[in-house]
Amino acid sequence: MKKYLNIYKVTLINELQYISDIILGFLSFVVMIFIFLNLWNYMYDDPSSLIEGFSKSQMIWYVIITEMIWFGTRNKTLINQITDDIKSGSIAYTLNKPYSYAIYVIVKNFGEITIKFLFYLILAIAVGLIFVGPIDFNMSNILMLIPVFLLSFIINACIRIIISMLSFYVEDAAPFHWLYDKIILVIGTVFPIELFPKFLQPILKFTPIYVVNYGPSKLVIDFSMNSFFTILMAQILYLIFVIILLSLIYRKGVKKLNVNGD
Amino acid sequence: MLMEIKKELKFMLLNVKYNLAREMTNKITFLTNIIFMILNNASFIVEWIIFYSLKNNIGGYNFKDIILLWAIASGTYAICYIFFGAIQDLPKLIMDGKIDSFLVQPKNVLISILSSKTKVSALGDLIYGYVLIFIYGINIKNIILFTLFIITGGIVIASIAVIFSSLAFYITKADTITSSITSTMLNFDTYPDGIFKGIIKILFYTILPIGFSSYIPLHIIKSFNIVNFLIVIGYTILVVLIAFYIFYRGLKRYSSGNLMSARI
Amino acid sequence: MNVIEVKNLCKTFKVKEKEKGFIGSIKSLIKPKYKKIEAVKDISFDVEKGQIIAFIGPNGAGKSTTIKMLTGILYNDSGTINVMGINPNKKRKKLAYEIGCVFGQKEQLWTHLTPYDNFKFFGSIYDLENSVIEKKIKEFKEIFELDEFINTPVRNLSLGQRIRCEIVASLIHDPKILFLDEPTIGLDPIVKENIRTLIKRMNKEYKTTIFLTSHDVGDIEKLCKRVIIVNKGEIVLDDSMENLKYHYLNKKIIELKMKEKVNLDDSKGITILKDKGYNLKLEVDTKKTSISDALKLIDANNIIDINISNVPLEDIIKSIYKGEK
Repeated sequence: MKKYLNIYKVTLINELQYISDIILGFLSFVVMIFIFLNLWNYMYDDPSSLIEGFSKSQMIWYVIITEMIWFGTRNKTLINQITDDIKSGSIAYTLNKPYSYAIYVIVKNFGEITIKFLFYLILAIAVGLIFVGPIDFNMSNILMLIPVFLLSFIINACIRIIISMLSFYVEDAAPFHWLYDKIILVIGTVFPIELFPKFLQPILKFTPIYVVNYGPSKLVIDFSMNSFFTILMAQILYLIFVIILLSLIYRKGVKKLNVNGD
Repeated sequence: MLMEIKKELKFMLLNVKYNLAREMTNKITFLTNIIFMILNNASFIVEWIIFYSLKNNIGGYNFKDIILLWAIASGTYAICYIFFGAIQDLPKLIMDGKIDSFLVQPKNVLISILSSKTKVSALGDLIYGYVLIFIYGINIKNIILFTLFIITGGIVIASIAVIFSSLAFYITKADTITSSITSTMLNFDTYPDGIFKGIIKILFYTILPIGFSSYIPLHIIKSFNIVNFLIVIGYTILVVLIAFYIFYRGLKRYSSGNLMSARI
Repeated sequence: MNVIEVKNLCKTFKVKEKEKGFIGSIKSLIKPKYKKIEAVKDISFDVEKGQIIAFIGPNGAGKSTTIKMLTGILYNDSGTINVMGINPNKKRKKLAYEIGCVFGQKEQLWTHLTPYDNFKFFGSIYDLENSVIEKKIKEFKEIFELDEFINTPVRNLSLGQRIRCEIVASLIHDPKILFLDEPTIGLDPIVKENIRTLIKRMNKEYKTTIFLTSHDVGDIEKLCKRVIIVNKGEIVLDDSMENLKYHYLNKKIIELKMKEKVNLDDSKGITILKDKGYNLKLEVDTKKTSISDALKLIDANNIIDINISNVPLEDIIKSIYKGEK
C-alpha cells in the first residue's frame, strides 16, 4: 500500500509544474459553459418553466458539473501511456515487478488529476455562481457526494485502461477512445438522461454514463437519498464488472504478447 | 508570381499525396480512422434531435440548417487538416528549432511545413461533410458553393492557427494557446450563431473568425448574396496575407537564433 | 573560382538566464537577464570549386552555427557570406537550388517509401522534369550501388544504406555544393569506408564542392584536401591536409622496452612523454634531431623491443584545439 502512496505523491508533486497549462486550458471549459448558457437561455422561453422537471439553472449547473468531470479528469496517461507500453512491449517487464500494473496506472492517474480536478472544481463553482446563481444545495450532501465522485473517477479510469488495452489486439486503439469520448460527451454531458425518449432511458442507465457522469452530476443538482443509494449500488456493481473485465483482458493480452515475443 | 503560386500548389498536392501513401501503409488503421471519425461526427446528430424535439427553431435555425452548419464545419476542418495537417505541430516545431530542414528546401517554408502532414481522420470529416450536404439538398449550386466555402474556411482556420502559432517565436506555451483557440472555434461553429448575443458576435468576426468560415457561407448557400460572397473571398485573402506576414516576421527572429539556448 | 566566400563572419546569441526555482522564474519574467554567447567571432575563408573541405572542431566550437549561416538557416550579425554568388540571408530559396544538405542524424527521407519514390519526390521539389529525374536516378543507381535496395521501403534499410540514400536525395538537383554534417556518425568501419569512397567518387564525377563537418578523424584524413579547424568561434588552423601532416609528421614517437633502467632527460628535439624506467616513450622532432642521433643516446644492446611511429592525426587535432603549436 505504501508504495502506491509514494507513486501518488511523486506524480502529484511532479504535476505542480504544469499549473500554468491547467489555467490556460480553462478557456475551453469557459467557452463550453458559455455556449450552453446561451443555448439554454434560448431554449427556456419562460425562465421559470421546467423542461422534463428541470429548471433552467439546474440544467446549466448540470452541464457545468459534467464538463467539470470531463475537463478535470481527462488524462493522457490513461490513453497514451498504456498503448505505448503495449506497443513497445515494455508492459511485459512489469509482470515480474512487485506491483500491479493496472493499480500503478490508476494511482499515477489520480496523482496527475488531483490538482487539475481541484482547479476545475473551484472554476466550476465560480462560473456557476457568477453566471447562473446558487441552486438548492445542502452542504451535508458533500459527504455523500465524495464517494460517488471517487467511484466515478475509478470506473472511468478502468474503462479507459480497458480501451487502451485493446492495443493488444488492434493496431490503433485511439478510435475506440473517441467512441467512448462521444458516448460520454454527447449522451452524458449536454443534458440529463431524462430528456431522451422514454423508451431509451432504461437502456442508457446501463451505459457507463449513468455511473461516470450522469449519476454524480444529477446528485449535485437534485439530491435524494433514494437516488444516492441507487447510483452508489450501480457504481459498485459496475466497478466489480470493469475490474473483472480488466483483469481478463490484461492476462490474455500479456500472454499474447509473450507468444508474439518469441 | 502566378507561376510561383502554381508551383507551390503543385508541391503542396505532392506532399499530401505522399502523406496519404504513408498513412495507407496500414490499411486497417487507415480505414478505422476514417470510419470512426464519421461515426464520431454523426453522434452529434443525437444531441440536435433532442434539442429540436424541445423546440423547432433554435437561434433562427431549423433542423435542416443545423445539418448545413455541420456540413460546413466538418468540411472546413477536413480541408484544414488534409492540406495543412502539420498546423497543430507548428508551435512545437518552432520551439524545438525543428524547422531547419524546411529552410534548406527551395519552397515556401510555411507551405512546406503545413503540408508535411495529413490527418487521416480529416478524410472522414470530408466524407461526412459531403454526405450531409447531400442530405441537405443536392444541386450543382450547393455543391459548388459548398466546395468553395470549405476551401476558404479551411484556409481561414489554418491562417488563424498560424498567427497564434507564430507566438511560439516569442513566448513558450504558444502551443497550448493555439490549441485552445482552435478548439474554441470548433466548439462555437457547430452551434447556431443566433443563440449568441452582443460582444461574442464581434469575436466571430475578429479573432475567432468562424463568422467568415461558417456563418456567412451558410447564409450564402441558403440564399445567394454577392456582397457577402465577396466579403468571404476578400477576408480569406486578407487573413492569408496577415498569416504569412506574421509568420515571416517571427521566422526572422528564428533565423537570428535568439530563440532558445538549445539551438547553438 | 571561389564558390564560398566568407569575410569577418560574426554571430552572437542572446541566451536568457534563469535563476533556479519559482521565484527565479518570476524574476526572469519581469526582468529577463541575457547572457551573450559569441558563437562565431570573425571567421573568414574561401572555398574553391571542387574542393573537399573539412570543417572541424570540438562541440560548441561554432561549426554548426557556421554551416547554418552558410545554408541560410541562420542570419549572421556582421560580416559577409557569399555562396555561389548568393547572399544566403537574402535569397534563401534561390540558394536552395544550388546546394544540397545532409544534416547528420536528421532524416529527410520518407521512411515508408522506397528510395526510388523518395528520389522522385525530392526531384519534384526542385521542379525537375520527370525524364530528368529518371535519368539522374539511373546514374546514381550505378555510382552509389543502389541496385539491391532501390525498391525496398527506407524503414527496412540498414543505416549505411539509408545514409547513401540521404546523400543521393540531396544530390538529385545537381547542387554545386554539398554540405555534409557528420555523414558517418553511428556507422561501422566498413560502411564508413564505403561512404567515403562514394563521396570521393561523387566529387570526382560531378566536381561537387564538399563542405564536411565530422568528429571522425578517418573521414577527414581519407577525404579532405583541406582542413579548417575552429575552436571557441575562431579559426585556429586553415591549411592543406598535406601541410598539416607534414608539419606534424616530422614528429615521431619512439616506444622502447629496455633490459635495464635508463636515465634520459629532455634534450634538443627530444621530449620524454613517458618514463617508467624500463618502458620509455619519446617524441622526436626530426627537424632538430635525426632518429639515428636520438637512438645513439640509448644503448642498443639494452633494447628488447622498439617501435617508431607517426603522431596520430587525432592527437594532432587535439593539440591544435588546445592551442599548442
